[in-house]
Amino acid sequence: MAHVSDRRPWTFYVLAVIFTLFVLFLYGPMACIYILSFQGPNGGLTFPLDGVSLDWFGALLHQQRTGDIAGAFSRSVPLALVVLSLTVICSLAAGLAFRRRFVGAGLIFYIAIASLIAPGLVLSVGIGLGFQMLDIPPRWYSSALGAHLTWTLPFGLLIMFTIFSRLSRSYEEAARDLGATTWQTLRHVIIPIVLPGLFGVALFGFTLSYDEFPRSWLTVGPYNTLPLEIWAMTTNVTSPALYALGTVTTVISFFVIAAALSSIALIQSRRTRRRVTRERELQAGS
Amino acid sequence: MKLAVPAKAVPYLEVAPLAIVLFLFFVIPMAMIFAASFFDYDMTGIIPTFTFHSYIELFTQRTTLDLYLQTLKYALIVWAITLTLGFTIAYFLAFHIRNPLIAIGLLLVCTVPFWTSNIIRMIAWIPLLGKYGLFNRGLMAVGVVDQPVQWLLFSDFAVILAYVYLFTLFMIVPIFNSMARIDRSLIEAAIDGGAGRFRILTEVVIPLSKTGIALGSILVITLVMGDFFVVKIMSGGRSASVVMGVFEDVNLLFYPPAAASAVVLLIIVTLIVSLILRVVDVRKELTGER
Amino acid sequence: MRQPGEVELVNCTKRFGETAAVSDINLKIRAGTYCCLLGPSGCGKTTILRMIAGHETPTSGEVRIDGENVVGLPPVRRGTAMMFQDYALFPHLSCLDNVAFSLKMAGVDKAERRERAAKVLARVQMAQFADRVPAQLSGGQRQRIALARALITNPRVLLLDEPLSALDEFLRLHMRGELRRMQRDLGITFIHVTHTQPEAIALADLVVVMDHGHIEQAASAQDVYNNPHSAYVARFMGGQNVFAGRVSAVSNGMVALDLTEQGRIEFPAGDRPVPIGSTAHVSVRRDRIHLAKQGAAETVNAVRGKVSAIEYQGAWVKVTLESMGGEDFVVHMPDTEFFADPVNPGDSVRAHWKALDVHPLVGGAGRSDRPYSLGQN
Repeated sequence: MAHVSDRRPWTFYVLAVIFTLFVLFLYGPMACIYILSFQGPNGGLTFPLDGVSLDWFGALLHQQRTGDIAGAFSRSVPLALVVLSLTVICSLAAGLAFRRRFVGAGLIFYIAIASLIAPGLVLSVGIGLGFQMLDIPPRWYSSALGAHLTWTLPFGLLIMFTIFSRLSRSYEEAARDLGATTWQTLRHVIIPIVLPGLFGVALFGFTLSYDEFPRSWLTVGPYNTLPLEIWAMTTNVTSPALYALGTVTTVISFFVIAAALSSIALIQSRRTRRRVTRERELQAGS
Repeated sequence: MKLAVPAKAVPYLEVAPLAIVLFLFFVIPMAMIFAASFFDYDMTGIIPTFTFHSYIELFTQRTTLDLYLQTLKYALIVWAITLTLGFTIAYFLAFHIRNPLIAIGLLLVCTVPFWTSNIIRMIAWIPLLGKYGLFNRGLMAVGVVDQPVQWLLFSDFAVILAYVYLFTLFMIVPIFNSMARIDRSLIEAAIDGGAGRFRILTEVVIPLSKTGIALGSILVITLVMGDFFVVKIMSGGRSASVVMGVFEDVNLLFYPPAAASAVVLLIIVTLIVSLILRVVDVRKELTGER
Repeated sequence: MRQPGEVELVNCTKRFGETAAVSDINLKIRAGTYCCLLGPSGCGKTTILRMIAGHETPTSGEVRIDGENVVGLPPVRRGTAMMFQDYALFPHLSCLDNVAFSLKMAGVDKAERRERAAKVLARVQMAQFADRVPAQLSGGQRQRIALARALITNPRVLLLDEPLSALDEFLRLHMRGELRRMQRDLGITFIHVTHTQPEAIALADLVVVMDHGHIEQAASAQDVYNNPHSAYVARFMGGQNVFAGRVSAVSNGMVALDLTEQGRIEFPAGDRPVPIGSTAHVSVRRDRIHLAKQGAAETVNAVRGKVSAIEYQGAWVKVTLESMGGEDFVVHMPDTEFFADPVNPGDSVRAHWKALDVHPLVGGAGRSDRPYSLGQN
């Protein structure tokens, strides 16, 4: 049956074409570098492919040619994981604080916004200067960690705002009414309800840190994180090894995301499974 | 947890971790930069005195104005393009895709490239836009041109293309988020009220997604104004930005002029953002206070 | 179940910044009472409920439950349980876990809390939905779960914040009866906030009519309806025509009131002295008024007017006379009486009543700036 109201308006098709072109625009260049990373041993930075090989992935392992990629990974991933955890904890706590009135709420909100908009490189210079003046050597796990947080925390806070604006206050009151302490309310009511949003904050925190270059610049100290290593390669390395690195970083990101998403799925399925078993128990009991 | 915390102290304790991190790693460093902008320097390092030297130098150089104008020009053009593109795509996903799960799936499709390093995503354009890149080969093969087009790479075009490529997502996500929260019955009410497609857009959709538009605009504008690596690579050294100037000064260990330039840039960015926040009270909208 | 709870508010005031949501309230609700707090939105009824629950702290005054001042005590130590307007069922928990929540918080072991929760679920006829999550339930089912969750704490006092407002008409009437039955069975105090007069009258032993943070009248449903204390209560409860006038004479135990608009009302003086020259309000129940087509020119306890509307209501007919002084004058006539000699819109009629049916109002017109229209929901 053809309903008049079910027919899509012409704007749908126009917008669908725009959307498709945008997706092509997003993926086209990426596809190019993934393909070019399998360039043959004598191939260059552009098409056409001169054979197919894994040589450029191999080249990543040789420190002399491409810098310390493995070392950079071994710093970037833990750093991103620490940033992720701190971002989740601090933004959740601050998001809860902003549900109530407190003196200085406006000031802290605007400092967070300022921190979000300040150019990363400028911040990096400031933190670098600070550590220099206090005579503390900058390291990826101290100064760079702080620098990353100035970017991920405001993001996390804004996301928490949108999550909490949809969370009715009566849940907290109901929990209190039923005898839950503040801590129990958080543990048994608030966190389970906002869990999907927290995963969003976590993913954001991870990728923002994992890919942060300007804020890391003067704050990592002598040992580079991955984006700095890549930056160095863009000036030194003129081989498809660069593309190979791009492919590898993407694959690793995908693994992290897949891990995050499947853990959400796991939690969900466990919940349903528990429910199904209980239903059986009840049926058996009755 | 049997901690005897008075109820009034709870929000302060909750906000403390965030406040401490921002104070240590944002407020203090910014104060350092502000202080450093009044210092003097020579070949051996910074001299802590009080002088307007760096500011005087900054404001008397002819290149300063060009640099700021150049940065503002990029910000403005990129803002206009990403806003149009981001709004269009968010609108398509929020209002034309009927199944919300599919809409979110398509949004994820847009975010996937975001998981790859920005620098690498930018470099990915080089084999496409270069003198013997795919585009030029294609154009020559078809016969549109017989010489490779030069302005595709290492030009303003390339810089803006890379910005749009990297930052449109920051526009799509907040606008989509705002639109997804618009009650569909409002649209129906507008149709019942006789509003056409365009009027619905201007009277209902745009006013109700202004938080997303404001947030996206803040993100894109500040990202462009704070950028240096896109300009450096994609313009091939033919163009510059304020932060690139800072970058180069710091590389030469000229901290005070770098700091002075950073302070002026921060003031401009703050002015632009407060202008946006004046139009849309993002905090009120986000926390749902009325 | 615990002993039923007596709730008392003593000089209770709650301010939000400059505005007082509740001003100096004194109210005693005896143990085992079904009490309805009734008033338009913003009158302070929900604030009172939340102060009893412990979700708001009074700015001054005391809240006593069974004689003990509970201000500052957490909800769980008060022996109260609240049912929220939106039910506030935890979306991530099954019905059984929602009901068992308070037991879990109290550290009751799993087997026991499931058993107890299942019992309470059975009591509200929701046993078969134990494993559904709230999103899979209808409005009425959610309400039962919310009720079960509140009852499992064995409260002395159950607080209900507009519990029926989210339900459709049919379900509302059904649940209304169930709430009343539940209260009788449990024997505990129910305090129920509503803005709907029929709901309050149908349910409550004690109706507390509120306006702008003050109690206008606290009495039995019958009293509030038949003997409204003030013009405000009379108007808000509906079913009454309210008159304002000036006392012109008091003689032979009769008070004469010259109406502001037209006519004169005479009624027996009560115990209260009525000074001549003072302004006074009286009310007359709409179903105690008779209509006559033109005839005797009696002007005492009668008004003339044109019929402006007629609404058939089944057992009775609502006849509205052209508004006088901005307020509609309404007569409720039994349908047999009406159809024996029907009137039509536009007819000139005379409405009259007995002096004994005139009810003097003590309080003023209420604190509201805006008048609440008669029969407001």
